[in-house]
Amino acid sequence: MWRGLWTLVAWAARGPRSPRSCTRQGSGAPAPGSGATIFALSSGQGRCGIAVIRTSGPASGHALRSLTAPRDLPPARSACLRLLSHPRSGEPLDRALVLWFPGPQSFTGEDCAEFHVHGGPAVVSGVLQALGSVPGLRPAEAGEFTRRAFAHGKLSLTEVEGLADLIHAETEAQRRQALRQLDGELGHLCHGWAKTLTKALAHVEAYIDFGEDDNLEEGVLERADSQVRELELALSAHLRDARRGQRLRSGAHVVVAGPPNAGKSSLVNLLSRKPVSIVSPEPGTTRDVLEIPVDLAGFPALLSDTAGLREGVGPVEQEGVRRARERLQQADLILAVLDASDLASPSSRNFLDTVVAPAGAGSPNESSQRLLLVLNKSDLLPPGGPGPSPNLPPHLLLSCLTGEGLDDLLEALRKELAEVCGDPSTGPPLLTRARHQHHLQGCLDALGHYRQTKDLALAAEALRLARGHLGRITGGGSTEEVLDIIFRDFCVGK
Amino acid sequence: MFSLRGCGPCVAASFTKKHLPLLRFIGDSAAPLSTNFDVVVIGGGHAGTEAAAAAARCGSRTLLLTHRVDTIGQMSCNPSFGGIGKGHLMREVDALDGLCSRICDQSGVHYKVLNRRKGPAVWGLRAQIDRKLYKQNMQKEILNTPLLTVQEGAVEDLILTEPEPEHTGKCRVSGVVLADGSTVHAESVVLTTGTFLRGVIVIGLETHPAGRLGDQPSIGLAQTLEKLGFVVGRLKTGTPPRIAKESINFSILNKQTPDNPSIPFSFINETVWIKPEDQLPCYLTHTNPRVDEIVLENLHLNSHIKETTRGPRYCPSIESKVLRFPNRLHQIWLEPEGMDSDLIYPQGLSVTLPAELQEKMITCIKGLEKAKMIQPGYGVQYDYLDPRQITPSLETHLVQRLFFAGQINGTTGYEEAAAQGVIAGINASLRVKRKPPFVISRTEGYIGVLIDDLTTLGTNEPYRMFTSRAEFRLSLRPDNADSRLTFRGYKEVGCVSQQRYERASRMKTSLEEGISVLKSIEFSSSKWKKLIPEASISIGKSLPLRALDVLKYEEVDMKLLAKAVPEPLKKYIKCRELAERLKIEATYESVLFHQQQQIKEVQRDEALQLPKDLDYLTLRDVSLSYEVREKLQFSRPETIGAASRIPGVTPAAIINLLRFVKTSQQRQMAVHELPRTDQSLCDTDRLEERQL
Repeated sequence: MWRGLWTLVAWAARGPRSPRSCTRQGSGAPAPGSGATIFALSSGQGRCGIAVIRTSGPASGHALRSLTAPRDLPPARSACLRLLSHPRSGEPLDRALVLWFPGPQSFTGEDCAEFHVHGGPAVVSGVLQALGSVPGLRPAEAGEFTRRAFAHGKLSLTEVEGLADLIHAETEAQRRQALRQLDGELGHLCHGWAKTLTKALAHVEAYIDFGEDDNLEEGVLERADSQVRELELALSAHLRDARRGQRLRSGAHVVVAGPPNAGKSSLVNLLSRKPVSIVSPEPGTTRDVLEIPVDLAGFPALLSDTAGLREGVGPVEQEGVRRARERLQQADLILAVLDASDLASPSSRNFLDTVVAPAGAGSPNESSQRLLLVLNKSDLLPPGGPGPSPNLPPHLLLSCLTGEGLDDLLEALRKELAEVCGDPSTGPPLLTRARHQHHLQGCLDALGHYRQTKDLALAAEALRLARGHLGRITGGGSTEEVLDIIFRDFCVGK
Repeated sequence: MFSLRGCGPCVAASFTKKHLPLLRFIGDSAAPLSTNFDVVVIGGGHAGTEAAAAAARCGSRTLLLTHRVDTIGQMSCNPSFGGIGKGHLMREVDALDGLCSRICDQSGVHYKVLNRRKGPAVWGLRAQIDRKLYKQNMQKEILNTPLLTVQEGAVEDLILTEPEPEHTGKCRVSGVVLADGSTVHAESVVLTTGTFLRGVIVIGLETHPAGRLGDQPSIGLAQTLEKLGFVVGRLKTGTPPRIAKESINFSILNKQTPDNPSIPFSFINETVWIKPEDQLPCYLTHTNPRVDEIVLENLHLNSHIKETTRGPRYCPSIESKVLRFPNRLHQIWLEPEGMDSDLIYPQGLSVTLPAELQEKMITCIKGLEKAKMIQPGYGVQYDYLDPRQITPSLETHLVQRLFFAGQINGTTGYEEAAAQGVIAGINASLRVKRKPPFVISRTEGYIGVLIDDLTTLGTNEPYRMFTSRAEFRLSLRPDNADSRLTFRGYKEVGCVSQQRYERASRMKTSLEEGISVLKSIEFSSSKWKKLIPEASISIGKSLPLRALDVLKYEEVDMKLLAKAVPEPLKKYIKCRELAERLKIEATYESVLFHQQQQIKEVQRDEALQLPKDLDYLTLRDVSLSYEVREKLQFSRPETIGAASRIPGVTPAAIINLLRFVKTSQQRQMAVHELPRTDQSLCDTDRLEERQL
């Protein structure tokens, strides 16, 4: 269930911080009731010398001072050069241009700050992590800056027309990004943690709501306590370990897909200018997903060659088909390849119906993906003939054999990739990982609170907060889910 | 054989066709005898009494229609009020000057606060109530409420007329038709008919219609509702057998004694009517494997359990406990039914076996070996109306000025019914006065959580309140319900008495003053340690510690603190409630700061009203999937906040809705700038109405 515009991170919004620091006036912490302060990278990935990181919300000034300490705020709306350093460790991060936009004269109408840092992923992720450590700040949700601008009357209604599309695109991009990130070991871990935590939360909630009137069996709370302790150990071990392990794959994910023997591998070899994939006239030659980092029309991209999509083949190829489908889900851009001379075959038709049509026909609200339809083997078409069927969606003709049509394809790729890479939310996986770390750390801190609290209502609150942080990564944890577990695990009722 | 008369929820809520003399009970001698009322409330249960009294408090001439005056305030199931989550609801009903908390303070026989050791946010005020006293006191209250008239009669049908053009809905209710053919005209109608809709009692394989034998329960009204297009679902519940008190061997059972002192339910009471030492005990016993055997051997004789009608996920009956959690001992609380009652209510033993087998099962339980069953347990199956068809003010989308409250909306429990009753009564009255509705947000109270859950998510099991449903649990506490709701009730709708308002204001002032004084007292931690050696204050922190921070320690209360710093703290311990509330505020202070922030964010969404007349299915220029349109069309969320809580409504859809909010706000502003045009438009409307 999706919970509210400004409440998206109802629980996760609260970072770890000491109770005292927030209750004192004049400490620079935001005034109560003014909402969370958000931050995000607002420039795209790819070849940029400068990356722009923005914050919006009442703690923006505090954040700016924290990173440029002990300097005062720069004059409003003028660029100043400052040394940025981590507010906790004091470690220098970058020498950067900073700008201060006090509300309401800012993009969102709230207090805003901008950091123009040198564009390398290490610097960017360092600054983002530093911002995440400032009390009251949290990573922005998809489209949240624009939503705030809208809420403060900073956008005209015509500008808002495009907002839904934008948010949809950003949400989709983040979903794909998260799928990639959670594909594999980390995903297994997170889902396991979320499951344990939901159960512990449900048991504590059951103890509160039913502990006195109904008989829960002995030791409910003790079991929850030990589960929380195990979870704390696992999380802190993981966070200490987070620097290694995950292979980071930067760039836009371009997946080449199509029915068997359409020439996918030939296209991959053509685009990467080297023989990466084995090509043969035999259908089903490629059985696993092959990945090649390439420079496509000037943009960093990760090109994946996949097994031809068909059913009813041997187990090894079936696995290849399954992986191909999985990879399609994660793609920023699909290069759909068909044999121009074989469009009527069942496998071609099936591919058009199941992959090309859903992606192409989607309105902005359906889950549509970017897709380029390429008809390969144009050299096999009769010269001067009527061309392929007029019922096809927009497509490009190409011959991997002769290279004819390659320029058109590269131009189309350039347009698509400019859109994909210009979108900051598809940013390098390093940034997604920073987000994950932010929430894992938040979860861990909340679990620490749970252990220290004697008041059970407060302890349960800490667990809810912890679950909220994990929910930002894995989803789930709703009240209904908790109640389901309570009624499944305990005999409670009248 | 056992008589089913007057023994259950179904009977209390049923409608009879039998012609009763139209008795009139005039509560207010100044009110003229009339068949025209501002508000008519149908049903005298926990929702109905609260609705009628609330409407009258708001200044509306109100009629309570019930089939029998002597069943008003009947507690048709358990002889207790309150509990965890439910006690929260009662405090909120009381904060709006509702009845049930005050009546409970006059009628209880065993007061006990649950969850005492789990934190004040989840304390559950609860009491065993004397059924007879409760009914008497409630009837006295209802029959003496100014502007409230009570009349016996069975309602057969609704009178419907043309809708008001400025509101949505396909028609408007303007009165009711009684069984004898007479009519009562009303500006608003509140339906609190409990389980009357096709209610059926089940014992073993026997079933009886919910009305008295041979009587179909108010077919006309049920048919009218169905014809109007209301979506109906079916639920089931049950009640345990009653046992003769003198036949139970209490001496071998665990005894539970009440609290000393008793904590009253109502904010305006310092104490309850009865001293702790005069209160009655409860006893605890358990089921055993023999009970399991009897249940399992006789499943074929138990149609209530076999049928597919959806019961709750929790275990309402002993059969479901045995089936879902076999080989366990289940708790049975033996609760008194009243001071001079000969009956004991075995809570946890709700059962629908044939009566003979029930008796057999009871006698194999410890302490009940020689127990005499006076009345068998039974199941009830009934229709309810999908609560997504009502607004947060409890008015139906389909029929203007028709309000639903209580079990008809799919809830279970006296407290849930009372909470809805107050809101329905207030809003029925406001509607007559053409004032904006009174809605409690889920950030303001459990009442808000209850109604928001019902109206946005619906329910497919009898909905019961739990504290786990409230996301702002630490802010919505039993102790502060008055500061959350009493002021709103007084200022916005006038349903709160002057006396209560002044009391709440005084408390608020004292609390604010107390907190700022506690914040202003600062000593080093070592000095605090010397002043209060009992507290586990860690020395060595360089920062000075405020008295408020010291009060956060579990072992410190206001008494200790005032002993250590008599000036100026002495005066804050004179009032027990004030001292306790200061301690509670200190306990949650740091977390409440963050919670307040989240509450503001939710409230921002809820301030964005969606136009009520949107036809989501045909809305143009908006990119919404058909699935989302259907969901919005059915639930008709009133705010962006509520829309975003409907499962399946995407962020992108919300943005599109936001655009509508903004455009309609702009349109409204344009109208306000031209008040004259506005006025003339209204006049035209009225003219057309007359012509109709």
